[in-house]
Amino acid sequence: MADVVTGRAGATTAETGPVHHRRQPRGRRALRAMSPLLWVGPAIALIGVVVLWPVYVMFKTAFQHFTPNGFYLGPAGWKNFKNLFNEPDLNSVLERTGVWVVVVVGVTMALSLGLAELFNVRFPGRRVARWALIAPWAASVLMTAFIFRWALDPNYGVINIFLHDIGVLKEFGSNQADWLGRPDSAFAWMMVVAIFVSLPFSTYALLAGLQTIPHELYEAARVDGASKWRTYRSITLPLLRPAFLVALLINVINVFNSFPIIWGMTRGGPGYETATTTVFMFQLKQAFIGESAAMSVINFGLVIVVVLVFLKVTRWRDQVT
Amino acid sequence: MKRHIAAGIALGAAAILAVSACSSSKKSNGGTGGATGGGGGGAAVTLNFVGADYGTGPANSSQKYWEGIASDFHANNPNITVKVQTINWNDFDNRIKTMVQNKQYPDVMEGDYFPDYAQAGLLYAAKDVTSPGTFSNLLPVFAKLNTYNGIQYGMPFTTSARTLFYSKKIFQAAGISAAPKTWADVQADAAKIKAQGKIGFGMPLGSEEAQAESLLWFLGNDGGYQDSSGNTWTINSSQNVEALQFMSGMVKAGDTEPNPGTKNRTDLWKQFAQGQIGMINGSPALIPIIQDGKVLQTADWTSVPIPGKNGPLDKTLGVCDNVSVFKTDPKKQVAITKFLNFFYQDRYQTQFDREYDLLPATTSAINALSSDPTFGPFLSALPKSVQYPNQPVWSTVKTQIQQQIGLAMTQDPKKILDQIQQTAEKGS
Repeated sequence: MADVVTGRAGATTAETGPVHHRRQPRGRRALRAMSPLLWVGPAIALIGVVVLWPVYVMFKTAFQHFTPNGFYLGPAGWKNFKNLFNEPDLNSVLERTGVWVVVVVGVTMALSLGLAELFNVRFPGRRVARWALIAPWAASVLMTAFIFRWALDPNYGVINIFLHDIGVLKEFGSNQADWLGRPDSAFAWMMVVAIFVSLPFSTYALLAGLQTIPHELYEAARVDGASKWRTYRSITLPLLRPAFLVALLINVINVFNSFPIIWGMTRGGPGYETATTTVFMFQLKQAFIGESAAMSVINFGLVIVVVLVFLKVTRWRDQVT
Repeated sequence: MKRHIAAGIALGAAAILAVSACSSSKKSNGGTGGATGGGGGGAAVTLNFVGADYGTGPANSSQKYWEGIASDFHANNPNITVKVQTINWNDFDNRIKTMVQNKQYPDVMEGDYFPDYAQAGLLYAAKDVTSPGTFSNLLPVFAKLNTYNGIQYGMPFTTSARTLFYSKKIFQAAGISAAPKTWADVQADAAKIKAQGKIGFGMPLGSEEAQAESLLWFLGNDGGYQDSSGNTWTINSSQNVEALQFMSGMVKAGDTEPNPGTKNRTDLWKQFAQGQIGMINGSPALIPIIQDGKVLQTADWTSVPIPGKNGPLDKTLGVCDNVSVFKTDPKKQVAITKFLNFFYQDRYQTQFDREYDLLPATTSAINALSSDPTFGPFLSALPKSVQYPNQPVWSTVKTQIQQQIGLAMTQDPKKILDQIQQTAEKGS
């Protein structure tokens, strides 16, 4: 998609270039025609080095055979993919990834709609509250994951101490207190953390969207005697749609690729029972580099497919551009 | 306005894609510079040494230990300079792998030993970089572990053996008078300790070192990862399955900490030092943690041979960290040999062991330490110790055990061991 942007910028410069300098000699004209490259070049180089090259290496590695310590043993053909599809845990990992993305993004967007509305209203201390909302976003995600891991410690975790004080938790160090030891509860807690760190971005995106809606529309609605709910449904939601879609898409990609939360809290364990495909890929890397690269290729494909389907379904071109 | 959003989202999406693509390619940061210096006889030589850091902080960092040796060595050999770099244990494997993948080999490395480096022809044979005296002084029990195709590459530098630690304080409170000798004892004692509100037995089956804890239980049932020939994998043997079944029985009865598959050795050792765990398998490295904790006095804990199914084990898991020497520059071989002969002297071995509560790796240093009250029991277990397999595929198998074996506490152990056995038999 970045290509589209730079491509468009390049094209416009190239079109306007020759118009101004029609009478120049041929050599200089050719040189002139090249000049846009000077401006676009760094961006293209960056994309080449940072996006295209790693993608190429990823595909190459997926068809090679490596020792766990990185020694190349020869081509592997489709064996890495075969091994990957024979992994007994692959299906459950894929399902879990689906649940992870749908629940985290769904809850995040729903909460953000409410939060954005709240922060759009004038109230004393709004500036401070808006700043505070940035905190989970500004803090390193890995750090947030560690803080939650400590807070959930079965013996000393502050969350467990609180739960004990209000009588929910009966005994420290018990199976009940060991939230991150049981795959189900660990996964639920990690989704909570993922929602927590995704909220600020979505809320700010929606808040920005809310502020672009002209006041006149609301005034007109009031004059027409529309109810609050009716105003929200017929004015706010439709006009918020572009901002909502942007936030939704970025969240889907971000949450799908999310690695530090799960790695920081459970390392995908026990076994692969709390791993999403991204974490699973990293777990495989420790023993099977080729197979891990094959998993990356699948991940890469999944992101692209999800994004394309999303763009198609939301008729992106009509809505946002 | 809308156009801006579109451009923004396109850029954002591209950046995210880039991040996802990057994370799947290999890391390429870190590492030291290439070889410097050269020349054998009169010319100045610089050796790059990379070692693991065994310290718990700046005060007892291994950087100090090795810099001390390097300066002593330089005083004796003014034309050889040793540049020392130490790496925290948590990062050690990753950093070394990165250095080797980028072909930035150190000259001498101390820490984990990678059989596939020998397989790839990167290392000097041990005999080629030590004097016959130094070579024959290395503990023979660890030779096989460091051997590839009949030639020894890795040289043990520091070793460790496992025993069962238990808290006498907790035992007394629970009314237990004797040390456990059999699995049945362990289970009965753990149940009594649990009744006192403490954890009976600490069982670290998380990814940190699950391969050690499970092997100790396998040994107790005459099982193990390989048969005595060291050529046949026996990971899914009935003895091992039975051991895991017994362990999961203890877990289900609540005799261990909850969910052992997610608990790591480092954390449980600390909990033992805090007086919350009755029994745990440990090595001498647990001693300084107990001392730092200041909860258990020396009289409050002790260590005994590990209980097996029918009686205490006469063998235990012995582990060693090794020196490997990379073939960086043939002109450096003489200087490297001098350096190795120098740091394998007893005084440096015992200095290291006293600093970090580890065990020596040479016969003469063991003799020098044998009368020491702390080290004595471990030293007698050391020559009979059992080692991990030495095939290159072991590093793959080890990772699988670390990730998977904890699941045997909640799922069918046979199924999980079968999977690991398959990986081992496939080879690397």
